[in-house]
Amino acid sequence: MQILLDLFYVLIFPGFLFCAVVGLLLAGIDRKIVARMQKRMGPPIVQPFYDFFKLLGKETIIPHAASRGVFIAAPLLGLVSLVVMALFIPVFGFTAFSGVADLIVILYLLTIPAAAIIVGGAASGSPYAGVGISREMVAIVAYELPLIIVLLTVGKKAALDGGITFSFTEIQAYQAEFGSMLSHWSMIPAAVAMLLVIPSEVGSHPFDVAEAETEICEGPLVEYSGSLLGIYKLNHAIKMFILTALFAALFLGGAGSGILIVDVLLLLLICTVVTILSMSLPHAISARLKVEKMFKFYWTLVTVLAVISLVLVWMGF
Amino acid sequence: MIQHFPILSIMSLFLGSFLIVIFGGKNRFIRNSLAVLFSAIPLVLICCLIKPILIDGEIFSYWMGDWEPVSGFAIGIGLEVDALSLFFALLVVLTIFLAAVFSLKYMSRDDALDKYYTLFLMLGGGVLGLVLSGDLFNMYIMVEILTFASVALTAFRNWGKGSLEAAFKYLVVGSIGSAFILTGVILIYAQVHTLSLAQISALLATEGLTPATIFGFALLFAGYATKAYIVPFHPVAADAYMTAPSSISMVFSGMVNKAGIYGMIRLVYMVFQAMSQSAMQYIIVILGCLTMFIGVTMALSQHDFKRLLAFHSISQIGYVLTAVGLATALGISGGLYHALNHTLFKGLLFLCAGAVFYSVGSTDLDKLGGLAKKMPQTTIIFLIGAFSISGLPPFNGFMSKWMIYQAAYEKAALEGSFFYALVTIVGLLVSVLTLASFIKVTQSVFFGQLAPGCEKAKEVPFSMRWPMWLMAILCVLTGLFPGFVNRYLVVPASAAAIDTTGYIDAMMGAGYGQQLGLSPETALSLEYELTGYWDPIAWLVLFVVLLAGLMISLGLGKASRGPVRRPVPADPKYDTFFGGEASQHSHVGGSDLFWGLKHNLRHYFRFMHSMHSGVVNDYALWTVAGTAVIILFMILFL
Repeated sequence: MQILLDLFYVLIFPGFLFCAVVGLLLAGIDRKIVARMQKRMGPPIVQPFYDFFKLLGKETIIPHAASRGVFIAAPLLGLVSLVVMALFIPVFGFTAFSGVADLIVILYLLTIPAAAIIVGGAASGSPYAGVGISREMVAIVAYELPLIIVLLTVGKKAALDGGITFSFTEIQAYQAEFGSMLSHWSMIPAAVAMLLVIPSEVGSHPFDVAEAETEICEGPLVEYSGSLLGIYKLNHAIKMFILTALFAALFLGGAGSGILIVDVLLLLLICTVVTILSMSLPHAISARLKVEKMFKFYWTLVTVLAVISLVLVWMGF
Repeated sequence: MIQHFPILSIMSLFLGSFLIVIFGGKNRFIRNSLAVLFSAIPLVLICCLIKPILIDGEIFSYWMGDWEPVSGFAIGIGLEVDALSLFFALLVVLTIFLAAVFSLKYMSRDDALDKYYTLFLMLGGGVLGLVLSGDLFNMYIMVEILTFASVALTAFRNWGKGSLEAAFKYLVVGSIGSAFILTGVILIYAQVHTLSLAQISALLATEGLTPATIFGFALLFAGYATKAYIVPFHPVAADAYMTAPSSISMVFSGMVNKAGIYGMIRLVYMVFQAMSQSAMQYIIVILGCLTMFIGVTMALSQHDFKRLLAFHSISQIGYVLTAVGLATALGISGGLYHALNHTLFKGLLFLCAGAVFYSVGSTDLDKLGGLAKKMPQTTIIFLIGAFSISGLPPFNGFMSKWMIYQAAYEKAALEGSFFYALVTIVGLLVSVLTLASFIKVTQSVFFGQLAPGCEKAKEVPFSMRWPMWLMAILCVLTGLFPGFVNRYLVVPASAAAIDTTGYIDAMMGAGYGQQLGLSPETALSLEYELTGYWDPIAWLVLFVVLLAGLMISLGLGKASRGPVRRPVPADPKYDTFFGGEASQHSHVGGSDLFWGLKHNLRHYFRFMHSMHSGVVNDYALWTVAGTAVIILFMILFL
């Protein structure tokens, strides 16, 4: 019975199916909102589903210069590591598998999909991919510094007796008792920093230096086609869900209502709002940054925001 | 019988090297079998010691020539093997054996191989003797042996560019380090009139540190730091690792710098018992952080595969040092775990560099490319090593780094010190930069366009591949079963590192410390609680289940047709161009891959480049100046 329940967790909720559906929905909402902000009609909200299934039916071409095995394996590994991450991120009181991975592990697990894009791009042998992965790498280094500081800040704030914690369970317990992180004023700069980290972690528009389809033809994805490209698009959508859910767990967590369905609906609402705030809004109002500008932005402004919170929390606020 | 195993294992390495001098010059077969045999014997002997020492917790003491202490005064030379020594000894013998097997084929195109194996076994004997020794002066002797063997091996391929220069630099800086150690030994001997580590430890603990002993201690510390290549003693390591044959680079990074780390741990925890002072913790952690940050940023801008690995080696040693300097139970355990992992994955990566050199004849990142199609197994092995060193879960590098971050952040909370929170941030950041620079190697060497000159590359022979596979498997296993590794290797070793009383009593007779007025309690307890959780097996199971589910569903969908493969005609119009120029001239080559990052930090990088001038005078100056700072700091604050 336990095995069946675990399989249900892994494959349906909150695992593969749930992630995929919610992720694609979020991607659809994002596209619609951006379009409306730019006074376009925009595609229907289910457009990403159509795109995904269309790509699955298309021919998959593997370039001559590509290293075949890695080229095929990379998107799959990225997808699997993303979905596995969803099992560890709590939905208010509910976590599918608690006690497996903590905050630091999640930080590292988040680099696996990025590494998968990079390795897959590298394996395609295209020079556009070469440029793309060099930019992706710089982007990772750029956003990782503020992300590290944000997570450490949460880890310090959520510990009760002056210690530290990296455990999601304790972070939820703290928020259930003292109100969500966002209601503590010292955590607000960290939350803003996290909101700014999300779009570049996802690779959405103002920070999509690596994919930049107008300059370098989608960089690492340039040689991908058919179902493999479809999987990359799915990864992108799931990443939107994972990161917004992570934001919800870290900053807007708590005990929830105790009824799973209500909690999930609440989570979806938070995810949508965070998506609109952190991804659609910057997407609609700004042009793509150059890679060195992006690096500077993250290592100065965003890092300073995160450090302000860290210092405040360490001073006991 | 079993108490003779430590000395026998040291002797077999030295004996092997002498036998190769006598018999190895003529016949290839005799030479190779002698080398493998005499590197396998210590492996077997040291493995026999795992049961009594690591599991049952015994401490072996062995007085050479049966010169036991007379009325509480150690006059003979002793070997003392506790769990810490054995932990490092295991790393040493494993590295020697695998490097010897790898060398058989890898070095087969060089000549004068009898001299190579002689020096190689001599180097191994030196390091093994150092970690098993219980005598301060004996440790110095072993340091000298290993330094000079290393210098000669660095220059072994003296037809190669820069190898003599590298050996000369190593000679100069290494000799300065050895001189510091010798001076330190003299000063300590003048104060306490004994050379046995156990007795020095007991006497210093009862009499307290005087300015003279602190001076000696600082010199010893700096000397062993030189052997571990921590900043500011590191630049010679980059040259030496690059020009030495890869099997030797593996030995350097797998065990020679561990010897330095072992010396430092032994000195600060056991002999001088200085780790309870926060000044000592600060200086070690600061040196460690500098080492890991400068190491990794220098690695970002390297053009040469092995030179890049060398800087990473420096950087990872920084992690070990930082963790050890935290002086908490979790810190020591994390540090030792990382030392073990570093031996495995860095040895593996150097062997991969060796395999590439063997097939293509170059380690220049700008000249290599597309080898994944030619050397698929080496590529997989390299990726395992690269993921391990960058700390991607579930590989071993992640496990130890995770322990180190927790240790550092817990320490910060415990002491209310913001400094250690910064240490945690530096550690996490360095890990990302490590990933970045390994992506660069992966892209430049194994993937991307097949570079001219790489067309004829072939997979390396089996005798080179299996040591690589073995280490790759060990990397995965030590990452997946941290509980096992912790219980049987790391925790006994960390407990031994702080168990001063046990060490003294085993050597000098039970109750020796108490006679002098030492209290039997140890300074630190080894109980620690993790603030987070990480269960690699559960993660892997979930991962595999999901992957299997996905494969099945995809396999059903795609079974009807395979991908289309069309031959590409050899015509320049099918060549790849980027922005109007050939791809090797665009900004995607080895050194420019991180343009966005280097452009923003150009002042820092410019400064670092000017500091790493390549002039041996500068490096010698750094060494002396660094030592002066350490001495000053210790005398002022200890």
